[in-house]
Amino acid sequence: MTGLLRRIGGSLNDFFRWSGGLFILFLRAVWVAPQRPIGVSDLSHQTLTVGIRSMPMATLMSLFVGMILVWQFGEALADFGAKQSLGYASSLALVRELIPALLAVTVGSKMATGMTAELGSMKVTEQIDAIASLGADPVKKLVWPRFFAATLAMPLLVAWGNIMALLGGMFISDAVFDVPAGYFYETYIDELIPIHYISGIVKATVFGAIAGIIGCYQGFMTKFGTEAVGLATTETVVAVSIAVVIADFALTTLFLPI
Amino acid sequence: MSATDPPPIISMRGVSKSFGANVVYQGMDIDVYRGETLTILGGSGTGKSVALKLMIGLLRAEEGSVQVNGEEVSEMGAESLRKLRQDLSMVFQGGALFDSMSVLENVGYALTEHTQMSDAEILDRAEECLEMVGLGLSENPDILEKFPANLSGGMRKRVALARSIAIKPAVILYDEPTTGLDPPNCDRISMMIRHLQEQLSVTSVVVTHDIDTAFHVSDRMAMLHEHRFPWVARTEDFRQIRDEVVRDFIVRRTR
Repeated sequence: MTGLLRRIGGSLNDFFRWSGGLFILFLRAVWVAPQRPIGVSDLSHQTLTVGIRSMPMATLMSLFVGMILVWQFGEALADFGAKQSLGYASSLALVRELIPALLAVTVGSKMATGMTAELGSMKVTEQIDAIASLGADPVKKLVWPRFFAATLAMPLLVAWGNIMALLGGMFISDAVFDVPAGYFYETYIDELIPIHYISGIVKATVFGAIAGIIGCYQGFMTKFGTEAVGLATTETVVAVSIAVVIADFALTTLFLPI
Repeated sequence: MSATDPPPIISMRGVSKSFGANVVYQGMDIDVYRGETLTILGGSGTGKSVALKLMIGLLRAEEGSVQVNGEEVSEMGAESLRKLRQDLSMVFQGGALFDSMSVLENVGYALTEHTQMSDAEILDRAEECLEMVGLGLSENPDILEKFPANLSGGMRKRVALARSIAIKPAVILYDEPTTGLDPPNCDRISMMIRHLQEQLSVTSVVVTHDIDTAFHVSDRMAMLHEHRFPWVARTEDFRQIRDEVVRDFIVRRTR
């Protein structure tokens, strides 16, 4: 019993240390952001790299999720003779919830693990120490551009994902349920009001920030040895997935009553 | 050193540092004087490199004082540390060159960070530094555009050396500069350290377990044993130390 309590205590202690470290890194990244030099080339390079590298995955995921969801809803609605409502039924779930959350868990994890692996390798080969020893701030040089890039790229990818999901839905609606793609489009858009887009984009921004800061923190905390880089990246996937789901619940609670 | 000598440029007093249960230093003292080359000897994994990282403020001592030019490193803020690192430069064990940057960008990194030099001036300085470490453009015409992955181990160490001297530091800290190199490259690096010290009058602290390099480059030598430096002496005096631990290390004897 004592051993069990000690283990639980140890895990809680680790969790609070980790969360505290993550929060401090976030504050430091935001603090150094306005300091000169602004590092426009680092910011744009990271944003383009993170965003463009994630485009194929975001496109594929969104297209297929759009098709799958509309197909599933279509089967259910057809039983009630309500397949003309396919656009109304699927738009809210996709725009408010599925596209932001799914892209955060998949594309966000991909971004974060890339950052962890890159920064972890730099830590192991003392490149982070080298940056500091040459008088630069590693948080400004490495963390801030990646955090910024993930926070900016994720809502853009979600906006793109929404278009892809809509196209996927139009295709299935027309091809499988004989509901014209144009009609599906009109009903889909008709159901949405600005707050639905806003909630999706706010969620995506928060998820991007979560992925960026966890990816960087895990990279900085990587222990020595190549095995440690692998372990840190695996932990990043778990941490990003859990953090995104919890943040999603909190944001849904916030936005749904509106 | 006698009482009439100038104050040390780096002074560590009563320093303790540990990583979890692993105690590296306990009540450690050592001084580094301007213009000298001090070599820190000791077995692998005993924490010699930690001394360098404490000097340049990459690590903080749990107890004791680490002073550079009379200023306490642990009390320095970001700006003071930035200035400290213009005076103190470190050459890392594996070179720690930035993989995503070319040789030119690596060598010019500190200049970009600390100075208002133009790209042309940085290029000139990078060429000059590479020349000093034996990687002149006459023999290596495409060296500036190369990336670390395309360099040999010896070349990487020399580029790292060029990067550390680009800002014209007063002190260079070398972490295992010859580890992993073949004998000719070891000699080349040792000669270069000596040459750079004579040419640039820099103070050098060299961490190594390579006794040949140590005797070649040092003015004074210190040996790490049981978390302290019990033996610190001028190179010629260090050779005469009769203690078994030092003798075993010098003659590479195992018991």
